[in-house]
Amino acid sequence: MQTSIIPQLRDTADGQEADRILRACTHCGFCTATCPTYQLVGDERDGPRGRIYMIKQVLEGEEPTEKTQRHLDRCLTCRACETTCPSGVEYAKLADIGRELVDQKVQRPLPQRVVRWLLRHIVAYRNRFGFVFALGHFFKPLLVGPLAPLRQKMPPKQERIDWPQADNTQRTMLVHDGCVQPVAAPNTNAHAARILSKLGVRLIAPKASGCCGALSQHLSHREEALDFARANIDAWWPHIEAGAEAIVITASGCGASVAEYGYMLRNDPVYADKAARVSELTRDLSDVLAQEDLTSLGDIGDGRKVAYHPPCTLQNAPGLHDNVAEILTQAGYQLTHVQDPHLCCGSAGTYSILQPTMANELRDNKLASLNAGAPDVIVTANIGCQLHLEAAAGIPVRHWIELLEPRMAQPAAA
Amino acid sequence: MAHADLAASTEQALGGAPRKQQLIERLTAELPADIVLHADEDLRPFECDGLSAYRQVPMIVVLPSTIAQVQTTMRICHDNDVPVVARGAGTGLSGGALPLDDGVLLSLAKFNRILDIDTDNRRATVQPGVRNLAISEAVSHLGLYYAPDPSSQIACSIGGNVAENSGGVHCLKYGLTTHNIVQIEIVTVEGERLTIGSSALDSPGFDLLALMTGSEGLLGVIVEVTVKLLAKPELARVALVAFDDVRKAGDAVAAIIQAGIVPAGLEMLDNPAIVATEEFVHAGYPKDAAAILLCEVDGTEAEVEEDIERVREVVEREGATEVRISRDDGERALFWAGRKAAFPAMGRISPDYYCMDGTIPRKALAEVLIGIGELSEEYGQRVANVFHAGDGNLHPLILYDANQEGELERTEAFGGAICRLCLEHGGSITGEHGVGVEKIDQMCVQFPSAELTQFHAVKEAFDPKGLLNPGKAVPTLHRCAEFGAMHVHNGELPHPELERL
Amino acid sequence: MSEHADLSRELSERVADAAAREAPLAIRGGGTKAFLGERSEGEALDVTGHRGIVSYEPGELVLTARAGTPLTEIEAALADAGQMLPFEPPHHGANATLGGTIAAGVSGPGRPFFGAARDLVLGTRIVNGRGEDLRFGGEVMKNVAGYDLSRLMAGAHGTLGMLLEISLKVLPAPRARATRVFEHDAATAIEQINAWQRKPWPITAAYWEDGRTYLRLAGAQSSVDSAIRALGGEALTDDGTFWQSVREQTRKFFEGDDPLWRLSVAPATPMMDLEGPTALDWAGAQRWLRSAAPAETVRAAVSSHGGHASIYRGDASPRFHPLPKALMALHRRVKQSVDPAGILNRGRLYPDF
Repeated sequence: MQTSIIPQLRDTADGQEADRILRACTHCGFCTATCPTYQLVGDERDGPRGRIYMIKQVLEGEEPTEKTQRHLDRCLTCRACETTCPSGVEYAKLADIGRELVDQKVQRPLPQRVVRWLLRHIVAYRNRFGFVFALGHFFKPLLVGPLAPLRQKMPPKQERIDWPQADNTQRTMLVHDGCVQPVAAPNTNAHAARILSKLGVRLIAPKASGCCGALSQHLSHREEALDFARANIDAWWPHIEAGAEAIVITASGCGASVAEYGYMLRNDPVYADKAARVSELTRDLSDVLAQEDLTSLGDIGDGRKVAYHPPCTLQNAPGLHDNVAEILTQAGYQLTHVQDPHLCCGSAGTYSILQPTMANELRDNKLASLNAGAPDVIVTANIGCQLHLEAAAGIPVRHWIELLEPRMAQPAAA
Repeated sequence: MAHADLAASTEQALGGAPRKQQLIERLTAELPADIVLHADEDLRPFECDGLSAYRQVPMIVVLPSTIAQVQTTMRICHDNDVPVVARGAGTGLSGGALPLDDGVLLSLAKFNRILDIDTDNRRATVQPGVRNLAISEAVSHLGLYYAPDPSSQIACSIGGNVAENSGGVHCLKYGLTTHNIVQIEIVTVEGERLTIGSSALDSPGFDLLALMTGSEGLLGVIVEVTVKLLAKPELARVALVAFDDVRKAGDAVAAIIQAGIVPAGLEMLDNPAIVATEEFVHAGYPKDAAAILLCEVDGTEAEVEEDIERVREVVEREGATEVRISRDDGERALFWAGRKAAFPAMGRISPDYYCMDGTIPRKALAEVLIGIGELSEEYGQRVANVFHAGDGNLHPLILYDANQEGELERTEAFGGAICRLCLEHGGSITGEHGVGVEKIDQMCVQFPSAELTQFHAVKEAFDPKGLLNPGKAVPTLHRCAEFGAMHVHNGELPHPELERL
Repeated sequence: MSEHADLSRELSERVADAAAREAPLAIRGGGTKAFLGERSEGEALDVTGHRGIVSYEPGELVLTARAGTPLTEIEAALADAGQMLPFEPPHHGANATLGGTIAAGVSGPGRPFFGAARDLVLGTRIVNGRGEDLRFGGEVMKNVAGYDLSRLMAGAHGTLGMLLEISLKVLPAPRARATRVFEHDAATAIEQINAWQRKPWPITAAYWEDGRTYLRLAGAQSSVDSAIRALGGEALTDDGTFWQSVREQTRKFFEGDDPLWRLSVAPATPMMDLEGPTALDWAGAQRWLRSAAPAETVRAAVSSHGGHASIYRGDASPRFHPLPKALMALHRRVKQSVDPAGILNRGRLYPDF
């Protein structure tokens, strides 16, 4: 597509990157076919091509209003569009640039600013979030107004299970601990550690690591995201130097972000190399397990029916490989047929909180297709999807790793 | 360029902002306000379709979701003499959905539901915004599919397919859109609802279904389509055949047909197209080949085995350097994936590309290919060729950079020369993308004025005020006279009956 | 090859002259399909002299011939090259011409599988009601430049233009063919024929009459053989003669003076409660009814299933299924756009048309 970026932006790093991405777009519209919001509302402005166009307008000097902002907000950043783009348009990167640009020009109303500030300053920090989470359970009835969507985000507290005994003879891998998951589903990483331990791998969760940065990134605070990335790199680096084989991701939303550290910090002279190395080592848990011999785990599933929801970050973002279905099948589970697996469930990070209407509609559709095969349990690979779906599923929604532990394999009654 | 003419054709009707305000008021008085878009910021994303070289911000966009809302919009526009351009998925490649600055753009993208699947009669009734591929996906479990498969089938809408009479890679055997639909519902320019065609294989009176198909939104707004569904072939296999010479590849196409085989698909890519698509899809195309053919045969297992071997014999006799036959559906899909992504994949080797769409008799394939190569040198622009070779339908993709001044104009001139080359070989300026605004001038070369006059008369039967997609598909004689002054062929002045401007 | 004569200039002039005088013309080919539709008003205009195959290249799968060319001549030329007219047009007499066949828009048993006359038309050269010699479409498989006036001519019974030349898509004749017979009542036949079509069997015709379903399979020998093994049925020897009798209505079913109705419906439409025997062609989509029931009764029954009924033999007016008012008005405007004086086959399609 023809572009004419205004001079003030043309020479900035963002301006050049945006121009490079825009020039690849041929306006063919293939992207609209896999865009969950376009398929829902049939409005050019709520599809990738329309959003690209709106971003292009801003880069070309048009003054955006809250309307452009709203349509960019409605994007899930699920990146399904990138998988159908034959021209290789890196939409998500463009969206990040566009959103930040628009947010600089269009001030949001106060309630929106408050919610966004809270998300960035509380949810992204597991101690603060843990505190609020505990508080939230106590004050659940008070979550009203713009905070109402949070109410259904409150899963029951998990009874913590133990990590395996440290065994220093084993191979080592790092696990990303993140922000929301250790609070809302602390057992996911423990399960991963236990399974890997059986396979001769010791999982280390460095205490100093924190949010991957995706929250800030999606809320148009890319500098803040870079700080999170640097902090994580600092926390992991000694272990990497000591021979950790991989950074294992149990929440693909974080994984997609960590896998991009190399790109995000490409212009940082101090961190660029380390970041690239970190991205290289980043692997989804299913990808790690698929490389190991799982026969020792035995037939755990016993033919029970499981509906798998692959998170967008696992199927669309480059850098992560999804082997969940193969592993569960190998473990003896029967995977049910799920229509339109490419469509997002509506969780999409903070999306379900900021865009509840669209998110819930997407969730209803997703649950209808997940439940169509009458599964005993729904599994996924990302904490965001898990909490979002669980709130309305009617049957248990788990991280798939839980299904590999024999005593956990019995799905709890709904 | 078409812009000036389009603006001129409609400027007499309306007089700017107050007019727009009036229309907004009338529309919002009867329609929900949030489906009537009029701010520049909202309108911009609609300024072009799949042919982004042509852009025009519409006066108003309406996003109806019910037929009643379409009727209301049409009635109000008709009463106020406002032109209307209907738009489906906006994937068209001839600018058929290019808006008008004084018109309403009627988006049918919200009409995205499949209304009925009639397994017994093998039909599906769908709303016009349903994606082509979504139909086949929805009936796949019944062993059925919808045959026409334009390359954009993942995204293009069935309403747009009917308006353009879209083809695809399987037309030679299974036909175009016109062969695969039985009934449509339209809303006329006055806002009246009509059923065209029937649930039977034919209908009484004139074959208006044939007339409506491919009429590029100039005769009515399609609001519902009933398509035929076919049984999925038991087996399909593709032969990927490489040649070291385009002439040999062209001759092989004719030889396959002559051998009595009707391939389900017969496609050709030349070297630049092979290289570009291979980079994206990694379909295993031989990057050193001068051209490849993809020849698909389908049917029962026995038939396919028999035919694919015959194809192998024929192409080997014609000098193929390599023949690979798909072993399973996965490999077959991979072979096709490259072809299906061929157009936009040009975005990887060139900032912009201009997709042409001529048809020629199959026998002229090699000659026209060589002619295009010569033109490419003459105009100094690269071209990659993707052909529905079985149908003699060429898609030369001219590569250019829209950010370089003058390149688009040179590209358009190059495209015009390719159209004339097709006509010289007894072909047509468009096989399946439609005329739109893009080839409106070439229509003057393909049709003498009497035929064009007849087209206008037919248009008048449906749309006396000329409000449906004006300025597209069929040029005015004055436009041709203007264009003809620039392109005089064989010393004859086209349309001599017209006073020169 | 046979006679060649190009009368396009003379014929155009005849029409132009008639147009000037506003004198209706009754276009006439071999006269074999005159029984279809109403009687055309006006001076007879014979086009049988305008004849000959203009071009035919088997490698292109396209044949172009003048309207007056005998259908037998075209079929013979195609057969020589191992090809065929896929829509298997009924001749209804020895003198059938290509022009009359396309104008009448009639198609034989292969129609649901290969397409109708209109589906195979690639281009036409016509004379409109102003006496203008016009070309639409062409000789290529795909052509979307301008409105599809070529296909519009098929089945218009000459009311939208006098056909001068027609270009058709032709196909290789199948390498092997067989017909199987099954004992079915009508309801079973309808169900079974439609069920078969949900599988990719090489079916090219399906006909039912008097307790028997006749299924024609054609294509590669191996394919026909495997279909026979899977579907069963009894073999029908000399099936060429059988399908010819269906196509030309020479079967006993079509004899006699009882009114003959053609019912066009969606193929799986159940048998309708109408008096008189029914035969099913086009895999159920074209039904023949011998019935003395009033036209209104027949038409109401067919309409309720979304179909239409025309009378082939016997009295009924109009002979073609009446159109809804708005659609009829559109027909008039379309007619007027090509034939403003209304001189071409006036009254042929509908009495006041």
